[in-house]
Amino acid sequence: MIPLSLRYYRADSVDEALELFHKISHEHGKPIFYGGGTEILTRARVQDIDVDAVIDLKGIPALKIHQDKGGRLEFGAALHLTDVAEKNLWPLLTATADRVADHTSRGQITLGGNLLSILPYREAILPFLISDSATARVAGPNGVRTRPFSELFDETLRLSPGEFLISAGVDQDEALGPRFKSRKMTRIDWIDYPLVTVVVTRNPRGAIRAAFSGWTTYPFSSPRIDRALSDGKRSPEERAKEALHHMPAPAVSDIHGSREYREFVTEYTLAGMLRELEDTP
Amino acid sequence: MSIIGTSVQRKEARNKVSGRARYTNDLTIPGTWHAVVVPARQAHAHILSIDTEKAKQIAGVKAVITGDDVSVLTGDVIEDRPPLAKDKVRYWGEPIALIVARDEATAQRAAGMITVRYRPLPVINSIGDGIADNAALVHEKNGGYKVATPPAYPKKQTNIADEANVEKGDVERAWPGSDITVDIHVSLPQIDHAAMEPRVAKAEILPDGRVLIHCSSQAPFEVRKLIAKYFKLNPGQVVVEVPLVGGAFGGKSSVQLEVLAYIASKAVGGRVVKIVNTRETDMASCPGGMGLEADISLAARQDGHLLAAKMRFYMDIGAYTDSAPRVARAIAAQCTGPYHIANLHTDVFCVYTNHTYTTALRGFGHMPMTFAVERAMDELAQKLNMDPLRLREINALKPGQLTPTKARLTESNLGHLPLTIYKMRELIGWKQGKVERVGEHRVRVQGVAAFWKTSSSPPNAISGAIITMNSDGSVNLSIGAVEFGPATKTTAAQILAAQLRIPLDKVFVHEDVNTHVDPEHWKTVASMSTYMVGRAVIDAANDIINQLKSLGAAVLRCSPDDLDFGDEKVYVRDDPSIALKFSQLALGYKYKEGDSIGGQLIGRGRFMIRHLNLLDQQTGKGRPGPAWTVGVQAVEVEYDQNTHQYRILKAASVVDAGRVINPAAARGQLMGGMNMGLGVASREGIHYGHDGQFLNNQFRSYRVMRVGEQADEYLIDFVETPQIDAPFGARPLGEHGILAIGAALANALSRAAGVPLNTLPITPEAIWRARRHQS
Amino acid sequence: MKTLTRPEQVTLTINGEGRDVVIYPGETLLYTLRGDALGLTGAKPGCENGDCGACTVLIDNIPTKSCMVLTAEVENRHVTTVEGLEDAPIQHAFVDNSAFQCGYCTSGFIMVGHALSQHADAPDDSRVVEWLRSNICRCTGYQEIYDAVRSVCQDSTAP
Repeated sequence: MIPLSLRYYRADSVDEALELFHKISHEHGKPIFYGGGTEILTRARVQDIDVDAVIDLKGIPALKIHQDKGGRLEFGAALHLTDVAEKNLWPLLTATADRVADHTSRGQITLGGNLLSILPYREAILPFLISDSATARVAGPNGVRTRPFSELFDETLRLSPGEFLISAGVDQDEALGPRFKSRKMTRIDWIDYPLVTVVVTRNPRGAIRAAFSGWTTYPFSSPRIDRALSDGKRSPEERAKEALHHMPAPAVSDIHGSREYREFVTEYTLAGMLRELEDTP
Repeated sequence: MSIIGTSVQRKEARNKVSGRARYTNDLTIPGTWHAVVVPARQAHAHILSIDTEKAKQIAGVKAVITGDDVSVLTGDVIEDRPPLAKDKVRYWGEPIALIVARDEATAQRAAGMITVRYRPLPVINSIGDGIADNAALVHEKNGGYKVATPPAYPKKQTNIADEANVEKGDVERAWPGSDITVDIHVSLPQIDHAAMEPRVAKAEILPDGRVLIHCSSQAPFEVRKLIAKYFKLNPGQVVVEVPLVGGAFGGKSSVQLEVLAYIASKAVGGRVVKIVNTRETDMASCPGGMGLEADISLAARQDGHLLAAKMRFYMDIGAYTDSAPRVARAIAAQCTGPYHIANLHTDVFCVYTNHTYTTALRGFGHMPMTFAVERAMDELAQKLNMDPLRLREINALKPGQLTPTKARLTESNLGHLPLTIYKMRELIGWKQGKVERVGEHRVRVQGVAAFWKTSSSPPNAISGAIITMNSDGSVNLSIGAVEFGPATKTTAAQILAAQLRIPLDKVFVHEDVNTHVDPEHWKTVASMSTYMVGRAVIDAANDIINQLKSLGAAVLRCSPDDLDFGDEKVYVRDDPSIALKFSQLALGYKYKEGDSIGGQLIGRGRFMIRHLNLLDQQTGKGRPGPAWTVGVQAVEVEYDQNTHQYRILKAASVVDAGRVINPAAARGQLMGGMNMGLGVASREGIHYGHDGQFLNNQFRSYRVMRVGEQADEYLIDFVETPQIDAPFGARPLGEHGILAIGAALANALSRAAGVPLNTLPITPEAIWRARRHQS
Repeated sequence: MKTLTRPEQVTLTINGEGRDVVIYPGETLLYTLRGDALGLTGAKPGCENGDCGACTVLIDNIPTKSCMVLTAEVENRHVTTVEGLEDAPIQHAFVDNSAFQCGYCTSGFIMVGHALSQHADAPDDSRVVEWLRSNICRCTGYQEIYDAVRSVCQDSTAP
């Protein structure tokens, strides 16, 4: 039961959604763009969010794009995580997104909802963070623009009020070229927030890239970590240990696990993933 | 084939798979108003003021009630709890105000408008904080509250709400004669029952003075008694109805929400008011399961025989006592586990903390107590380099010996632990607790633990049964036990069908409980329903059999002694062709000429516990229950020495069930109990922040087992040593799957990890930490 | 565009039948289903937070936690609740396997199991587990539930 009084709008087009947001804001309403709804509804139930209108984006065709075209993979923000997994255009994204929440919930959570979640995890962003060709199509008051992820991402995708994500894309070559591993480590349960989720890729030349979620209050990747991990002269264990020195922030301590334990888990997970990526040809 | 010992479907099975089984919150009377609880957001603080004005101004809000509007103090044993916090709050989540509105959303919105000014007090956030010198007092008036149900011995000017002691033999004299001793300290957090149905209560006060309560409770008669007592009503005025309950585990044996619903209804002129807990309030505001710290010292001879034990148990009961003094006595009375220890000194303390208060939880204290004792037993086995099952076998209590509280044991009241151990060896393929290497850094190992439990029921607990016969000879059975999952009603029907020698589908059990029409049953707790209700059902069946025979004798012109019955007939013993169908007698017998005799056959049965007594304050002497259920449990785990992750390969139980009445239901109870116990041992536990905030009051933060995390294989077997005074010899079984399985897991993992794991839950981090601490 | 700014009548397709119901724009499907107008109380509130699965129903044959959907979202879509199952194999399987005790979580598990059994692809064991992990049962040992669901799904690994 949601104690807030909400108005519900379902937009059929990008322009309609933008207009709605503008109009409601202008009339001193508090609109929010609405995807799968799981985060907004959980927060609304406990009155932890101050909104009075939801603009449902799931009816907009552009947000349902799901294609492999002209060397680009394009994923609509309103795709459910189960859609992404079933079509499996980008196995690394599948492997990562398919560990969010539980199966039924993944049928409700949208890709855009996960990428823009206010929770610290946003695991689906990890594959994009280590892809130079990753772009985000964003709709806003100034129209639709496609921008590199790297420009938009600072701890989270920085969208301005009134903007929403249409889709995210990546070059097929870059996405499908490297070997990869994705691993979510939890306190003990399969269904839980991560202590740490680690995504690692290795391109044919041996360069390693990694991205992390759960370690701190935001997901991240870092060239310094990648350099440390790519140093082929050292053992996976040594490189994993070294990588931990380059984390952008100390690991968090919370009810899922302590800082020290996160470090321990991240280190052995990373080392194991490197070994698996490098051992088999 | 007898219906006893046969796996039958539960009576309500088809309804439950069709969404048609009805629970308290599934029925709403039109015009019902809603109440919501406003929880405290401090764990320990003086209430300076509560501003209710803004909430009252919201359209649709009918009443805002605070502690100042309610003068009653409540409590099962000690009356220490105001239904709404008064002057101070003692736990984060404590109900501080109640809002009644025409709908739930309005009430919730209004709840968000209540502002409370607090002056924070030092938070008693652990047992250690509670027993420290000069600790802040959770209850300044401790020792001054009314003890409604003695015994309880609160200590003034401390946080000790009660203390129970057991003294047997002479520990100090026995100790020096031992060859070996072990000392361990265990620590278990508070946990939550986490029944899938959050608690619900509805109340209505009719103009004629009757009070109608609908609630999801294990104890409708207790609700009636306490509401009548607190609000000075005649018990007959209070009618409590309980339909099917969506899981309980002891959490619905405590009376709380019903009192709030009554207060809410009273505030709005007696209109129907419903309170439905959110999961968050169900966890943080309503009672959970106690935490425990315990110190166990055992002294034994080189051959493994136990000589003496010293034990101290400190229960984290939270902010109010509820049933804690009873649980303390249950722990004291069974503190040795199912072992003979001639010299014993045990102290059990109920410690007030600024945590959510606690009540009975599946096993009534025996699970945490068993964890402590069985960890000590396993450490002893390791020190002795002895097969841990063998150690338990040689120390098993035997008929003729005395329990810690000096109750005399017989084969009937004790059952046969050594036989369960014998069967366990076979069942799990016992490997003596040896660590087996199965990979570069992976090992497999088994762990065991044994349990015993009795009811700890009050010495005057009662039950009853009423049978009415229908025109076709089928019967209706009315009992006061609630159905919350263990097939209690179905078992009662099986017993009745067996007694009347009729098919099970000719027995219709009243699914709900209504205190106005169903005979009083103490509470549906302590796995005692089969015993108590069963005895009453047998009594009622005998009554109706007598009526069938005496009416049949009149019609057939013979003595009742000439008659036997079966196949839904009474018949002449030596010539079964002279017979009357039950249906011919059910509503009286009608002669050919039309005149009739008899009237409806109505059987009455009752039962009262006998020979129990309260434990003596000094020595603990007393008899805590009619009989014990004993058993042994084991797990096999595979453990990764690098990551400290593990998987439960097998979970096994062998229980002396006396007699298994419904094998499928019995297996289900044990599997479910094991799964819950393994969840508790591996992942569950309430997290309190440094300020006493309840941090994990949702299922996404309070983790319970899910599919795929259960043991790969459940193994279950039974021993059947009849309990002579029980229906068909059947012993209590419902709670027992949970009792020792967590200890068995800890024993296995302690061996696998090479470090004693005495703190729950045993997460991989906990093992990693214990190993780091050791090295 | 669809707009719902005040309580309004909408048409829902529930268990194959068109139903006109007045809803609030911010009302969850769970709330609507259980309300006086529909009275479909088979879906249970267990957490209203998307965690426990007791309120699971099918929307266009996909298991969905009805506490995490606004009713306004499901117009023109097919909602199936446990009351809409008519003697489905999964219901018998739950009875035969003793896959419930208190019964409160049962509707949710049955809807997940039913959807899985209707799925075009025969699921392997890990898929059965992955779907069932979405729900919580506090009474059983889970093996009973797994066995019940497995028994009504074609086994992809079977010869």
